[in-house]
Amino acid sequence: MLSRPTTEQILLDCCRELMTNVLPSLTDATAQVSVIMVETVLRNTAVRAAHEVAWMRDETAEIEAYAQAVAGQAPGTASLETAMTALASAPRDSLHLDDVVETYCRAGNALSAALETAVASGLAPLIQRGEEILDVRSGHETDVMAGWTPTGR
Amino acid sequence: MTDEPRLQKFLNHVAGDRGGTVTVFRPISGGYSRLSALATVRWADGSEESFVLRSDPPPDTGVFDSDRDCEWRLLEAISGKLPIHTPRPRWYDPTGQHLGAKCFIVDFFQGRPLSDIAQEPDQLSRAAEIYVDTLAEVHRTPLDVLPPALERPADWESYIEGLVEHLSRLDRDIADSNPALHFVAAQLAAHRPPPVPLTFVHGDAQPANILVPDEGPVLMIDWEFARIGDPREDLGYYSHLPVPPNLYEADPPGFLARYRERTGLTEEQVNEDTVSYFYVLGMARLLGQMFDATDALARGQSRGVMATYMMNGISATTTAFVEVARQLAH
Repeated sequence: MLSRPTTEQILLDCCRELMTNVLPSLTDATAQVSVIMVETVLRNTAVRAAHEVAWMRDETAEIEAYAQAVAGQAPGTASLETAMTALASAPRDSLHLDDVVETYCRAGNALSAALETAVASGLAPLIQRGEEILDVRSGHETDVMAGWTPTGR
Repeated sequence: MTDEPRLQKFLNHVAGDRGGTVTVFRPISGGYSRLSALATVRWADGSEESFVLRSDPPPDTGVFDSDRDCEWRLLEAISGKLPIHTPRPRWYDPTGQHLGAKCFIVDFFQGRPLSDIAQEPDQLSRAAEIYVDTLAEVHRTPLDVLPPALERPADWESYIEGLVEHLSRLDRDIADSNPALHFVAAQLAAHRPPPVPLTFVHGDAQPANILVPDEGPVLMIDWEFARIGDPREDLGYYSHLPVPPNLYEADPPGFLARYRERTGLTEEQVNEDTVSYFYVLGMARLLGQMFDATDALARGQSRGVMATYMMNGISATTTAFVEVARQLAH
């Protein structure tokens, strides 16, 4: 397959086209807003395309270790055990995006159960560690936002 | 979609004896949910009236969903019953048979959006006072004037418990997972604030939804998310609204002192921590609608570019939720 320009570069080039050639020629306000939104979504998608596989795989590894640590401190938590079993059977060896996403979603469910367990059990160090994992996830989402700010009312 | 010819035909149907002619029809842009338009009608006797039309977007489009039947019933019920003005209902097309979509028509109100007034630096304090006083009036509304169909929670405890549980379930039926919500819900459950009496809640209480006339009471619009709930949901919802200038952020102690004075609630009940708590609960419904809209795309049913555009809103909101949860715990 053709690999360069990268997906990120192609999408950003589409953004440039929209903003420099398409938007100035539009007179309808609704269409202008739509183009601005599409351009934002494309810029977000460019960031995702560049990093999402690596981010999801790195986070998944951290989450799995965290979920195991919580399960060790609060054994017998059914929701956590169920989520960890599902994660263990995820298609983790594949780099196809659908498989990486499926594995990451299962990791997300395990993290949800682990965080609930840590808070309910008052496991302070593990709550703090869980917050750090959420911060990493949030940091990636902020990168994807690419400076987005809300508009309208 | 409602347009001028459809409105003309509708007026001929509902007010044919008055011989009205639509002379102006102009869509109002900027809203995230319903489609709005301004229309002026000249009647056969020479008088003129202006109206605001508020209609549903095309099916399976958009992000934020609400029930036009409920909003219309609510407007009819509260019209003239509150110390502030509410849109005066005129006509409703409940099926979209005439106007192309469920659409109601209310009287136009001559007033300036409070959000515009707040843009003037020397009017910031006045704008905050108007905002707080308006909200307090809404929260003092006697519940018996509200439509019987409006859900009445059994008590404060079960209401809050339900909201926290709702938050933790927002990602239950969607294709994605969102661990932040589970962490936040767990912290909210563990750090519940003192109760207050449940009241009428606007649900989208922002300065852009308050119109200020030259004289007399203000008019509050966009009642689509109104409900009976905890009044601090309105305070919390607005407290983090990223539309400058935020009248709460400008002076939280002064803002809350005035609200307490107007409502009689105590500092233990209404303070910056409880407002943060209710920021999460006040935003949870809308966050759920954002999840639903993006999930539709994940399942192959596009809701339009607004849905994908608002994925950024999901990220920004959940990040802010986690920060609140962290503050509650520490």
